[in-house]
Amino acid sequence: MFCYQCEQTDRSNADSGCATAKGMCGKDATTSDLQDLLIHGVKGIAQYAKRARALNAPDNAAGEFMLYAMFTTLTNVNFNATRFVTLIQEAAQIRDRVKAGYTQAALASGKTPEQLTGPAAWQPAADMDGMLKQAADVGINAGLDQVGADIIGLRSLVLYGLKGVCAYAHHAYVLGGESDTVYAGIEDALDFLSNDPTDAEALLNQSMALGTLNLEVMALLDEANTGTFGAQQPTQVRITPIKGKAILVSGHDLGDLAALLEQTKDTGINIYTHGEMLPAHAYPKLKAYPHLVGNYGGAWQDQQKEFAAFPGAILMTSNCIIEPQAQYRQRIFTAGPVGWPGVRHISDKNFAPLIQAANALPGFKEDVSEKVVTVGFGRDAVLGVADKVIDAVKSGAIKHFFLVGGCDGAAPGRNYYTDFAEQAPQDTVVMTLGCAKYRFNQHDFGDIGGIPRLLDLGQCNDSYSAIKIATALAGAFECGVNELPLSLVVSWFEQKAAAVLLTLLALGIRNIRLGPTLPAFLTPNLVQVLVDKYGLLPITTAQADIEASLTRKAA
Amino acid sequence: MNTHAIELTTRDGEQLRFECAADQNLLEAAACAQIVLPAQCGQGSCGTCYADVTHGDFTLGKHNPAALPVDDEAKGGTLLCCTFPQSDLRISLPFNHDRILIGEIKVRNAEITAVDSVGENTLRLELRLAPDEDDGSVAEFEPGQFMELEVPGQDIKRAYSLANTGNWEGRLEFLIRLQPGGLFSTWLREQAAVGQTLIVHGPKGAFGLHESGLRPRWFVAGGTGLAPMMSMLRRMAEFQEPHPARLYFGANRAEDLFCQTELEALQAELPQLQVIYCVWKPEDNWLGFSGTPVDALAQDLAGAVVLPDIYLCGPPALIDAAEAAARAKGVPDQQVLSERFLPTV
Repeated sequence: MFCYQCEQTDRSNADSGCATAKGMCGKDATTSDLQDLLIHGVKGIAQYAKRARALNAPDNAAGEFMLYAMFTTLTNVNFNATRFVTLIQEAAQIRDRVKAGYTQAALASGKTPEQLTGPAAWQPAADMDGMLKQAADVGINAGLDQVGADIIGLRSLVLYGLKGVCAYAHHAYVLGGESDTVYAGIEDALDFLSNDPTDAEALLNQSMALGTLNLEVMALLDEANTGTFGAQQPTQVRITPIKGKAILVSGHDLGDLAALLEQTKDTGINIYTHGEMLPAHAYPKLKAYPHLVGNYGGAWQDQQKEFAAFPGAILMTSNCIIEPQAQYRQRIFTAGPVGWPGVRHISDKNFAPLIQAANALPGFKEDVSEKVVTVGFGRDAVLGVADKVIDAVKSGAIKHFFLVGGCDGAAPGRNYYTDFAEQAPQDTVVMTLGCAKYRFNQHDFGDIGGIPRLLDLGQCNDSYSAIKIATALAGAFECGVNELPLSLVVSWFEQKAAAVLLTLLALGIRNIRLGPTLPAFLTPNLVQVLVDKYGLLPITTAQADIEASLTRKAA
Repeated sequence: MNTHAIELTTRDGEQLRFECAADQNLLEAAACAQIVLPAQCGQGSCGTCYADVTHGDFTLGKHNPAALPVDDEAKGGTLLCCTFPQSDLRISLPFNHDRILIGEIKVRNAEITAVDSVGENTLRLELRLAPDEDDGSVAEFEPGQFMELEVPGQDIKRAYSLANTGNWEGRLEFLIRLQPGGLFSTWLREQAAVGQTLIVHGPKGAFGLHESGLRPRWFVAGGTGLAPMMSMLRRMAEFQEPHPARLYFGANRAEDLFCQTELEALQAELPQLQVIYCVWKPEDNWLGFSGTPVDALAQDLAGAVVLPDIYLCGPPALIDAAEAAARAKGVPDQQVLSERFLPTV
């Protein structure tokens, strides 16, 4: 295997990347290699799908498969080798279908169908051992000796950004949000990669095109979330358990949570959110269920300890799953793109087995005294009080805004984000999103004239809200986003964060501080390009970065 | 006393470390470090705690030769419960990290809900775990694992493989061969009755399904070696796993076979499952395979296009023969997984 897609990738050698029998995330070499081969297969679908679309014969069902398949290859999503063998076979079948559709459309319009090569012409081996041999030729590092680390790094930037785009698009899709432009953009990017591009400029342009596409995807997802469940409202969420039977829901999929809430209505089972599911409490149609009682635990990296201590059943709806321990292996269920060998998977939103498990488990024996956090400052909530915010800035009561958010992780260096948020001066406002918030969301930040100093915007994809808020403020102050008293301090871990970063860069937002370490796939040359061209800043220390942000001259 | 550094590497590449004194066995030292490795008898007689020492010196205490075949011992194979380190050791474990319990093995009460004869000298024992404060009424275990059953107030404790799958009603099902003169067997035959309470220790054990893509899975069972195979096949049915599957189930005589109804039900849920009944000494009217399940396995391996993963459970002689047959046909060692049933009297 060779994989360096996430922040925790092995950096113990000069050449960063996980390349032994097992990656830092727990993914074994077999699964990793099969994921590479699946991506190869998906590229083949896209080669024909793009051409079919150009002939007005789009295959959006193939598009949907591409979203799902790409999502399964994100960090901490699916670890089941068997599942990948099936998906690889499915990819080849779908490719054949799309190819037939394309050929027919070409002939119908009097054109000679192109005979495509590369992934489009690939046939999967009959069994897994054969597939693993095929995978050896299509891994991330394929062609390294010929094209060098910079080009491989740029291809990876495109691929990993694209994975994030696909994951968000899948989240939108399951709530009914679909768009031809999005499918077309994804097909373009995959088709581009299928040619093993070697032109650095073209690769960088493709990354930015993905950033722009991702803005559209996040808008689609925002519309799907708010359209289905209403706009987020500021809401106090209990973070201590109450007595009774319990189910814990983790991951990002609000649709799965909604289905479970409906199925557990009046059963006496309490539903708790975990990790990135916390913002669910802010959506009117979800918080209307009285048995959505609270949030349990912290960010994903603490799950082994927290799940082992949770006295009920657990549902993992998307990333980030890590190896289920023996203590809770029989009581954790996966849904959607998630998978772990030997763990029960629910693919049809029929949560009966999960509910049965929760009923058999003891649940919480007693109430723990109430503690709460406040969530729900999506764009509607913040822009609803825009006048007040603008006045506070004009009067000097608010000197600066920080957006401190993104993914959390186990690396000790991530304390930077705790320190940053907690040490931000009292006349500044901290906006946050993603699971990085767990590092400081129980801290008492106080308020500025009734405006809370900590505003939780939601999940990582709610960076769309952050962009909307920033754009609205820039409009109010008649300046560009880069001229606002606003600094972005981004914590990344996996590929959704890569997609969001590309979006911010594509929007021309400068001086983003990125940590806790820079992606291993960005070579020193590539980092220099991003620093020079986009003003990207590696983090230093919290105190120094706060000071630098506050004294920053308008860019 | 000085201790030695022990490094364990699981089949899926996870590493665990603990310290072990020269006069302590590895199993105990691991348990002291809250690392509970799959094991059963703790005295070198069952073979459950088999592992390969890849680096370092050790002494091997008294053990049952049937639990550690000579070929395995020659390549560094050992039984952790009677291995004493003479240097730092690196050890390769033949199972995945998920089979290691970090903490303590559970001990719970269970009530006998059924004890039925399913053949001459074979019983089907069904228990229901008593709901308790920490575990409610769930029966949590992996297919292929076993439990130790203890009769309260009597010094009788025996390990048996589970035949069902993890469930939310607390049900535990076992297939038990009554050993002539065996303590637990005698108790089962003479005293066991519905409503009585047993103490159950576990789940334990590392035997179980191994993920290897869609490679065919062939299960070879002798007698009550059927129990863990039933568990694994039931799990496959429950998860609707697509792997081609075959079960070779053997007994000496046709009337010694059992669970045919349950296997038919399983085939209805898992349509790709083929069941090959093998009888060593058949009557003239026997329509199934005549010979041991190993004979049937060897015959089918000869014609196999894809070499399957092979799961073996039964008496040592059956396992040794099946392993030899698999090797002879070129099946890689890591595709052969086994659980030895060694009688304890």
